[in-house]
Amino acid sequence: MRPYEMSLTEAADAIRARRLSPVELVDSVLERIERTEPRLRAYAAVDAERAREAARAAERDIAAGRHRGPLHGIPMGLKDLIDVAGTATSAGSRVRADHRAAGDSAVAARLAAAGAVLLGKTHTHEFAYGLTTPQTHNAWDPGRVAGGSSGGSAVAVAAGSATFALGTDTGGSIRVPAALNGVVGLKPTYGLVSRHGVTSLSWSLDHVGPITRTVEDAGLVLTALTGYDPRDPASLTAPATDYRPAAGTDLSGLRIGVPSTYYFDRVDPEVETAVRHAVDRLRALGARLVDVEIPMARYVQATHWGLMVPEATAYHERTLRTVPDLYQADVRVLLEAGELMSAGDYLRAQRSRTLMRDAWHRLLREVDLIAAPAVPATAVKAGQETITWADGSAESVSDAYVRLSSPANITGVPSLCLPVGHDTAGLPIGMQLLGRPLGESVLLRVGHAYERTRPARELARAA
Amino acid sequence: MSPGDLDPAEAARWAARSGLSLPADRHAAVAATAHHIHSVVAVLRELEFGDTPPAHAYRAEQEQPDAAV
Repeated sequence: MRPYEMSLTEAADAIRARRLSPVELVDSVLERIERTEPRLRAYAAVDAERAREAARAAERDIAAGRHRGPLHGIPMGLKDLIDVAGTATSAGSRVRADHRAAGDSAVAARLAAAGAVLLGKTHTHEFAYGLTTPQTHNAWDPGRVAGGSSGGSAVAVAAGSATFALGTDTGGSIRVPAALNGVVGLKPTYGLVSRHGVTSLSWSLDHVGPITRTVEDAGLVLTALTGYDPRDPASLTAPATDYRPAAGTDLSGLRIGVPSTYYFDRVDPEVETAVRHAVDRLRALGARLVDVEIPMARYVQATHWGLMVPEATAYHERTLRTVPDLYQADVRVLLEAGELMSAGDYLRAQRSRTLMRDAWHRLLREVDLIAAPAVPATAVKAGQETITWADGSAESVSDAYVRLSSPANITGVPSLCLPVGHDTAGLPIGMQLLGRPLGESVLLRVGHAYERTRPARELARAA
Repeated sequence: MSPGDLDPAEAARWAARSGLSLPADRHAAVAATAHHIHSVVAVLRELEFGDTPPAHAYRAEQEQPDAAV
């Protein structure tokens, strides 16, 4: 196995055992970037010299007995919404030309303290306001969308051009590209990971989280990211936790909710089959399956839009007036139309959110977690705008990709997306596990148990 | 178009009232998108909220902006 093919866990174990040096690993991943970027375009910027210098420093530290932990010497990419001092946070937009971040975001600082090596910034849909990331190509079929908005991060991890990456998620932007590229994405509990220094799409819905090759990898990264940060008003004071899942696969005693409404409606039959097969596998590991009804399903999209649209417009208020022509057409018109929403619309969405959170908390007293498809369809062809379902209804690609993700943004509950197979075209299918607030350890345990029953995943085919 | 919808000129006037001056070639597209957004969020009017408060997070104490992580 070549170093760029290693999962984070494998690479960390090899570095700790001195079987692999950070310099070898980073060189291998940088070579991989050179080979894959012409086809996939996952990165907005790569700083190879900085990465090599950090790898040499990590090698020296580890040789001197100063091993900082599993992320030490591991190369990673950051979504280009995440500030790194002295570098541009371009946010996929011409609006940010000449930008330079004054300081590190909280997550960049935490990863640097853990010894992770920054490779570069990965492409995002402009200001995270979209679900395709048109700059980037799907790692399994370059003619298809990467998903978004953290498309560059997911493609880089799937292709072997980053050992892990960070994304952000306001309505599915970690989990959608993770699902479409066959990697793991974790949207943590709202407030668990600080958003200080991360460009906002919608303050009340934004999350930061890891994109990795395995569930165990996601646990390792999450452990490094969490901790109270007074600079993020939503930051939680959760106790420090080691999120690395235990090795066991026994799920006896766990109650897994399987939605009888909403999550399997208007879902591609191949996606449904793969997810139900994965759920059956969890039952075979000892879990008890419980039918559950999703509360307030009729109000999910209205609540999500009622929060996100006016908040996004507010964030861009100044530049929408000074440099509107620098926005891409799809984002500009949403920002402009958001000016016409009333305070009443926004407050109804905030009050609906309260009701929805309460209803989900009641639901999650009946079960320990919920298993469902991550997205209702695999990656569509680039340029495709709508999906037509078996019932004859048509839905925009963006609406379809957000539909199953946004409940976790509205309620703030954690959601782990992991690959559970491929469709007949060879495109990855993702399942999501939704848990109680701060229930990440349960999700990671279940996801890891599932992965241990499957053969190790390979890198994306087209990469 | 239902009676509650904005035509392109009205959409431009509402935007101007928000401080956003839209060029004429933007009026129709913005009105159409605003109509779509409105049709999605209007469903929330069906809900009986009673005393339900909004889900804002607000704390009276001031955070320390330069506090260490």
